[in-house]
Amino acid sequence: MLEVRKLCKAFGGLKVTRGVTFALEPGERRVILGPNGAGKTTLFNQLVGTLTPSSGDILVEGRSVMGLSVAARARAGLSRSYQKNNLFEDLSVRENLMLAAAAGQGKAHSVWRDSFRDAAVRETVAEVAQQVALTEMLDMPVRSASYGSRRQLEVGLALATRPRILLMDEPTSGVGPTMIEGFHRLLHSLPRELTVLIIEHDMDLAFDVADRITVLNFGEVVFEGTPDETRGNKVVRDIYLGDWQADA
Amino acid sequence: MFRQTPARSLVLIVTLAGLAAYASAGGFFAREIVIEIAILAILAISLDVVAGFGGMVSLAHGAMMGLSAYTYAIFSVKLGWPPLPSALLGVAASGIFGTLIGWITGRTTGIFFIMATLAFGQMAYTVFFKWRWLGGDDGLGGLSRFDLGGLGIKMGNSLTFALFALVLVLAVYVAAAWVLRTAFGRTLTGIHVNEDRMRALGVNTVMHRAQALGFSALLAGVAGVLAAQHVQYISPELLVWTVSGEVLIVVILGGLGTLIGPLLGAVIFVLLKHEISGYTNHWHIVIGLLLIATVLAGGRGIYGQVEHWFSRRPPPPAGTAEAHDA
Ligand SMILES: Nc1ncnc2c1ncn2[C@@H]1O[C@H](COP(=O)(O)OP(=O)(O)OP(=O)(O)O)[C@@H](O)[C@H]1O
Ligand SMILES: [Mg+2]
Repeated sequence: MLEVRKLCKAFGGLKVTRGVTFALEPGERRVILGPNGAGKTTLFNQLVGTLTPSSGDILVEGRSVMGLSVAARARAGLSRSYQKNNLFEDLSVRENLMLAAAAGQGKAHSVWRDSFRDAAVRETVAEVAQQVALTEMLDMPVRSASYGSRRQLEVGLALATRPRILLMDEPTSGVGPTMIEGFHRLLHSLPRELTVLIIEHDMDLAFDVADRITVLNFGEVVFEGTPDETRGNKVVRDIYLGDWQADA
Repeated sequence: MFRQTPARSLVLIVTLAGLAAYASAGGFFAREIVIEIAILAILAISLDVVAGFGGMVSLAHGAMMGLSAYTYAIFSVKLGWPPLPSALLGVAASGIFGTLIGWITGRTTGIFFIMATLAFGQMAYTVFFKWRWLGGDDGLGGLSRFDLGGLGIKMGNSLTFALFALVLVLAVYVAAAWVLRTAFGRTLTGIHVNEDRMRALGVNTVMHRAQALGFSALLAGVAGVLAAQHVQYISPELLVWTVSGEVLIVVILGGLGTLIGPLLGAVIFVLLKHEISGYTNHWHIVIGLLLIATVLAGGRGIYGQVEHWFSRRPPPPAGTAEAHDA
């Protein structure tokens, strides 16, 4: 479904992505783990096209997307949420979701119809709002929404385009335990055919939802395996779980 | 997100009706003022579509108007075509020009976009300034107005022409308000608020912005045909960048991103200009002071400020009315 081949990226002398290779099966849930600065977000930026890799290839359903713009990749079914909220601040929660749903349904350009009055767009918005628990807040301006709600909206925007591959960059960063629990439920409620790639620091969530886990360190894939294999792996324990166990 | 509120509709109707009454009751001079207001208002509404809702502050709107006027002259005077097709071609030429500017400036925003539009505008100005076949800096006369004699309408009459100009203002406002309330307008606002995210959602934002500037230029083209038919003479002065600057002042004065504000801005601007220039040659200073006051008050413009005062009282949550009427 999504394949990354020998991806490399350097900022000047700093090699941030070093020969990253992995492949996601359709419907797979993959979690990327890695310490701060490991190059996880940079990898996402290359997948969606905001950054151009130095070398390597990215394939969606067997076809290279290297020549495609950010927008074209999104239309090919790739959707991402951001580590740092990247919302339509001046608009309401509903308007945010409407824009995303309309774009996802190819209804963003008509000079004849109003996408905000489109039945299918509204239906998607209602569904997504339900999924990310924002139904009560739809008419709130994003500016005045709480950090937690904005975090949920961040994921909601990515979901509202109805992607085939969903990339989420630390969706639970900075939110409390109740909301993390909500994310567990959300992830389990997603349609099974949706391919999901999540960057996550929360181990419980990672082990709970992942089919497989990829561990990045200094821009390199140092491990890939099932959650069980990850727990038992020494390399992973050394570079990552050490921290985690100390935290716990 | 644009909303055609009842208050805005009311202001639109009252303003246009007021201008029509003023033209009817007043003499030739009043009608000239109304036509001047109409041309400026069309340009200001056109600019607000891109500046207020798309974040594209253009200094090429004068050039768009001028290009349309010249195209109208080329076809109607030089090639002897009837006025209507010539006018349509003028509007189309402006639209193409706007789309091209939008396309070429592509990803530039902010000050770089402003400078790029200024450069395109000045290029167009230079072309017509030098082009002897079109009279160069002397301009070109002998333009005719639409012939609506078949309908019993005499466009040569100053009142008739003033009312015609007001009809065009209404048409341009309705077209702008319509487009802003379609998917196209929603997306334009989305790009204005967060272009990066809009792109990530799958929208080709460069193309969308280019189309928006093209649409805006079509409206500016209407002002061009109106200006050409009004004095039946055109010169490169139409395209000078200060014309665009004046339009921008009008938009900010009236209320950027309110669509109706620019119409009010045009009325105030032209009336003030004529009133004050009766006493002093320094009417620019008064406009300048007014502009400074507007900007210091929060930059909402006259209409935006009034709307702001009223909306602070019982605030119905934004968008609720829209939300439940499917
Ligand atoms: N545009 C850039 N120019 C230069 N260096 C960059 C740029 N973007 C990221 N980096 C560097 O690349 C490295 C990887 O950054 P990245 O944001 O991908 O890490 P991350 O794994 O997402 O970390 P975190 O868990 O903190 O989000 C960091 O050292 C960062 O400083
Ligand atoms: Mg990161």
